[in-house]
Amino acid sequence: MAASMSGVDNTEVNTPSINLTSFQKKTRSKLLSIPGTRPSVQNGQLLVSTGVTSLDFLLGGGLAVGAVLLIEEDRYDSYSRMILKYFLAEGVVCQHELFFGSAQDSPDDILQELPSPIMDDVAIPKPVEHTRLSAEPQDRVDAMKIAWRYQNLPKVQSTLTSSSRFGHYYDVSKTMEAEIRQAARCHYFYLPDHPKQTMSSHSPTLESYSALLKSLQEVIQKEGFAVAASSAKSRNILRIGLHSLGSSLWGDDLCCCDNPKHPHALTNFLYGLRALLRSSLAVAVVTVPSHLIQNRALMGRIAKLSDTAIALESFKGSERETNPLYKDYHGLLHVRQVPHLNCLASQFPDHKDLAFKLKRKQFSIERLHLPPDLSETVSRVSRGEVPRVTSPASTCSLSTSTNKDLDF
Amino acid sequence: MLLELLHGSDSGGFVLIRDSVHYSGRHLLKSFINAALHREEHVHVLLFEVGEQELIYGFKEIQRLHIHNAYEDPLGWTSTTDLTTQHFCLNYLTKILNETSQQKASILVIDSLSWILRHVSTTTICSTLHQLKKGGAVKTIMGLLHADMHQKGTVGSVCHLATSLITVAPGKAGDNCTAMITKRTKSGKVLQEEHALKINEDLTITVLKKSSNAEPAVHEELQTDPTANLTFNLRLSDKEREAKEKLLLPFMFSNDKKNAFLHTGTGSGQILYEPDANDDYDQEDPDDDLDV
Repeated sequence: MAASMSGVDNTEVNTPSINLTSFQKKTRSKLLSIPGTRPSVQNGQLLVSTGVTSLDFLLGGGLAVGAVLLIEEDRYDSYSRMILKYFLAEGVVCQHELFFGSAQDSPDDILQELPSPIMDDVAIPKPVEHTRLSAEPQDRVDAMKIAWRYQNLPKVQSTLTSSSRFGHYYDVSKTMEAEIRQAARCHYFYLPDHPKQTMSSHSPTLESYSALLKSLQEVIQKEGFAVAASSAKSRNILRIGLHSLGSSLWGDDLCCCDNPKHPHALTNFLYGLRALLRSSLAVAVVTVPSHLIQNRALMGRIAKLSDTAIALESFKGSERETNPLYKDYHGLLHVRQVPHLNCLASQFPDHKDLAFKLKRKQFSIERLHLPPDLSETVSRVSRGEVPRVTSPASTCSLSTSTNKDLDF
Repeated sequence: MLLELLHGSDSGGFVLIRDSVHYSGRHLLKSFINAALHREEHVHVLLFEVGEQELIYGFKEIQRLHIHNAYEDPLGWTSTTDLTTQHFCLNYLTKILNETSQQKASILVIDSLSWILRHVSTTTICSTLHQLKKGGAVKTIMGLLHADMHQKGTVGSVCHLATSLITVAPGKAGDNCTAMITKRTKSGKVLQEEHALKINEDLTITVLKKSSNAEPAVHEELQTDPTANLTFNLRLSDKEREAKEKLLLPFMFSNDKKNAFLHTGTGSGQILYEPDANDDYDQEDPDDDLDV
């Protein structure tokens, strides 16, 4: 067990050893040990890091091999694209193979935008416990005079972190160096490179999606990612990133009309993708511009067809941007679906209100906690949800201000 | 930000003007064309919605303005014109762009996209626009879209492609308008600004007021300051502040003791004794003078 978890590349599984006794240890079926993966603590599933450590924690340790993560894009597609880049960058650092499918960006563009990994191992933002204070406590800005015993504790323990380190951290202000990038093997699917062939209108899916699925199948077969393939060489994981499926650039009018001509095209593709992934050593991250899809039932079906689904809602451009509650964060994160692979109960995150913030060295997902409301006009009626700064709230508080004399 | 767009300082991309029935965005589009002509760039206009006379009204020099007129016969019923809605595809557009201005990339203006969207499928238009955006023949694409003519999804899909989106709405008084501009930079950042503008007779723009965020709905609550009108004094004078800093509180330890508490040591206990004010800490041993 210890040997398989160390992640050492083992080319031969059965090393002959001299048996001094006739006792033979009953070995389990070979546990695959691939660099960059680890078995889950909950159900022994092989997990892969998504590149964002907070997201790994949310998903229960990491993304399971053979599963699909669906990301519903934010309005301007900035943060979902960032997560996709983190995912691919993590693949480069862990020496996995990459597959990138897009109708919008040429493959070179996205590969040049990958963030550069922070290579030193100590770059973990631990809560401050053992820092050696060399300077006088009074010289520090946040040194407290009376409550000095608490000055090293963090203010609120709100970041989601796990104790053991699995993923890597990336610096988004720098791009990955060319040597590291070129060491990784990448396969591409760029839609304008595949010319349109006329297909019969009876087919349930669009030709762009079927071409993508066919290309994926070829890569998996040829490069030996299928689980059933003979393990002549060391196994590796294929990371598949598919950008903006369902947008009009793929030829799908799901986002354009309320009654699309091929309503089942994307759902068929996702079904086929999941079937393909279950029998291969691959992980997929798919982004969908859900804010453009008008048919909510269809969106629900798409979420059901993937294993994990999260939605990003960025504050940019919405009226929530000026809300003082959200001023530290860049957006909200909603978990639409959690996977239950080989188990009955799934691992739900404890907290439902999650917000994300893209910092330079980390994409952090935190629990949204409200500061105490100390204004005079706090109404006595309990408001459990996050209060909205719209006119109903203002009338609510104005009405209680007339009863100010009665509040004590 | 509007002035930067107007002067074309950042090239490339797709500028989309989204208007509605309340305020027409054509004046703003004509101002953009005017500014481009002043910069001595070639402008190609695909005209579907208004006639040629109406378009060139107000322009001073139209030497570099090339109009491709599809107003009279947009669907090609009489087969007299050579531009119809079906001609909105990459090959034809690059051909007509290259035959007029060979050296420099030119600006393509589409008036209006709504017309084409009614007759050609949205996916085709989006892919054509995307390919035009990347190609070398066109420096900037400017389009006019009437948001209330289409379904929300269609408008959303086309706006998703735009690098700069300008939404015009009627302003407070008269001919003014408010323009909300959303710009997406290459690095993924999104900038937003709102301007109140007036478009003059000679198609120049005066910016009346600029605010970088949409102003929140103003509901002012008069918050009475609770620290006013008190019978006691809440502020400290300087002397009082100094005296306060100097006050020794009961659990204020020296720095060593604090550090020892904060970082629990390596295991062996340390006894740190600090004499209190009440302790009679006399260095001399009182037993010294005993003769025992």
